[in-house]
Amino acid sequence: MPWKLDSSRPIYLQLMERIQHDIISGVYRPGDKIPSVRDLALEASVNPNTMQKALSELERSGLVYSQRTSGRFITEDEKMLKKMKMDLAAEHIQQFFEQMHHLGFSDEEALDLIRETLRRKNNEPDS
Amino acid sequence: MSPILECRNLTKKYGGSYALSGLNLTLERGEIIGLLGPNGSGKSSLIKLAAGVLQPTAGEILLSGKAPGAETKRFVSYLPDRSYLGRQMRVSEAVDYYNTFYDNFRPERASGMLDSLEIDRRARLSSLSKGTLEKVQLILVMSRDADLYLLDEPIGGVDPAARDYILQTILTNYNENATVLLSTHLISDIENILDRVLFLRGGQLALNASVDEIRTEYGKSVDTLFREVFKC
Amino acid sequence: MLRKLIKFDLKSGARIFLLLHGILLAVGLSGRLLFMNHLDFSEATPALVSSIVLFASLTLFLLMAVCFCTWLLIAVRFYRNLFTGEGYLTWTLPASAVEHLWAKIISGIIWYTLDCLVVAAVILMLVTGQNVTDAYSVIAPEVTAELGMPLSTFGLYLFIVMIISCFSSVIMTYFCIAVGQLFPAHRVLCAIAAYFISGLIIQAVSMGLMLLLKLFPGINLSILNGEQLAQYMFSAITLSIAIMFAVSAAEYAAVHYIMKKKINLL
Repeated sequence: MPWKLDSSRPIYLQLMERIQHDIISGVYRPGDKIPSVRDLALEASVNPNTMQKALSELERSGLVYSQRTSGRFITEDEKMLKKMKMDLAAEHIQQFFEQMHHLGFSDEEALDLIRETLRRKNNEPDS
Repeated sequence: MSPILECRNLTKKYGGSYALSGLNLTLERGEIIGLLGPNGSGKSSLIKLAAGVLQPTAGEILLSGKAPGAETKRFVSYLPDRSYLGRQMRVSEAVDYYNTFYDNFRPERASGMLDSLEIDRRARLSSLSKGTLEKVQLILVMSRDADLYLLDEPIGGVDPAARDYILQTILTNYNENATVLLSTHLISDIENILDRVLFLRGGQLALNASVDEIRTEYGKSVDTLFREVFKC
Repeated sequence: MLRKLIKFDLKSGARIFLLLHGILLAVGLSGRLLFMNHLDFSEATPALVSSIVLFASLTLFLLMAVCFCTWLLIAVRFYRNLFTGEGYLTWTLPASAVEHLWAKIISGIIWYTLDCLVVAAVILMLVTGQNVTDAYSVIAPEVTAELGMPLSTFGLYLFIVMIISCFSSVIMTYFCIAVGQLFPAHRVLCAIAAYFISGLIIQAVSMGLMLLLKLFPGINLSILNGEQLAQYMFSAITLSIAIMFAVSAAEYAAVHYIMKKKINLL
């Protein structure tokens, strides 16, 4: 199954995001070996060089480390994984607020809406 | 090491019209390169010149530093944009033919791919459907350990499912030191597997950039950019 | 590489060639058994003569047809293999233009030589029956005197000339096809034109040479005796072989150049 990729943003960025997402959602666990560049490229139906670039970037950020002979592994540094999670969460939250601004809500109103939505959702199972 | 392909002022004239005029181009090893351009922009001519089935009118084309000839044909694997195998041949005979003439042909690789497609070795090529014949041809071409693969419209005439198979075949079989140059007009289908794209217009290079460069710089896909550049 | 090319070329034409010559041999054999062996030469009746004439012309027609088919096979293989869709495969093999050319020349000569051998075998098969040789031995001295040599020797010379002309015919064929492909719009038509034009030129030149060397068959050919006739034949054959070689050399040079520098597949 080729990965779903957006056609207007750089491919390697999207590959990085996808792998980060897989780490957070538990497809890969800390310390897991990740497949070879070639296999990943085939799975995603993308150019191996682009996949290589994405992994190198992940390596540079420290999320992935490589051992000369045995391949690439997900970092076991929990702090770093947590930080990545926080970063991604911050990014999503920021995007959310941006969109709410587009719709004409202030930060306060948006927060109220979130609280309202949560309350309704929590009440639902009881009713 | 000299670049895998180099064109210096490469010109090809048919009668009074130019298919290529003064093309200068250098391609490095280890990339999958899309050759894009509207009909008649010189894509096919460039590939044929590199394959050695056309002679340049002026300028030169060098493959790994050598003019096309018996020597370069050893490491160049060429898929023409038409059927080129004897119609009366059987599939097994075509495999045998490649195996006889090319030192770098890997019969076990061809066998594996033919098996996975369940293609009958005893079938005559004339009895195969157009799509199957194109797949057989691609299998033969990609079963060689070549340094340069020249693929002229490899996904032109086949349905989307076959298209995916063909792209997978290219990705699986090319090694990281080899270069793949493939021409197509179906850009969006192959954008993700390309390192680099070349736009040809009127026999000249209009753009030579990596796919991610284009996306970063223009914020749009190669397909969209192509439609803008070549708007009628 | 040359060996592989020749092998594949012979293999791909083998079926039609063997079929054709198998039929010819079968027809020759049955002609001998069913027709020639039943001829009685003791009485020269008009019926005998006309049946022989009819049979001979049929045989001649058949032999010529098979020769023509062999030639066609050689020409079509050269054209199709190098200048049509198949050319895309042929010209991307790791072989040089000269290797391709010689592979085709050698396989062409092999076809032609085999063809000549089969034709000679069929003729021998038809005329070596006891009844025929007995009948011939009666007129043998006359024929020998007329030709200036025994008929068998004469036949052998003819055979040798035929084999040599195979070589020049192969080169000539390839020359015409290669010239034809210089004109992408009308390749076959131009090949045929090349055949007639080059044929015309060669004819004119060899006529001129014959006149120059006083070998032109004049009106007094009929009054030559056997000895003189043989001598005339020898000089004519030598001259035509010499011309053939010169023409073949020139045509070879042209094909060689075209194959090396002018290959532009459509």
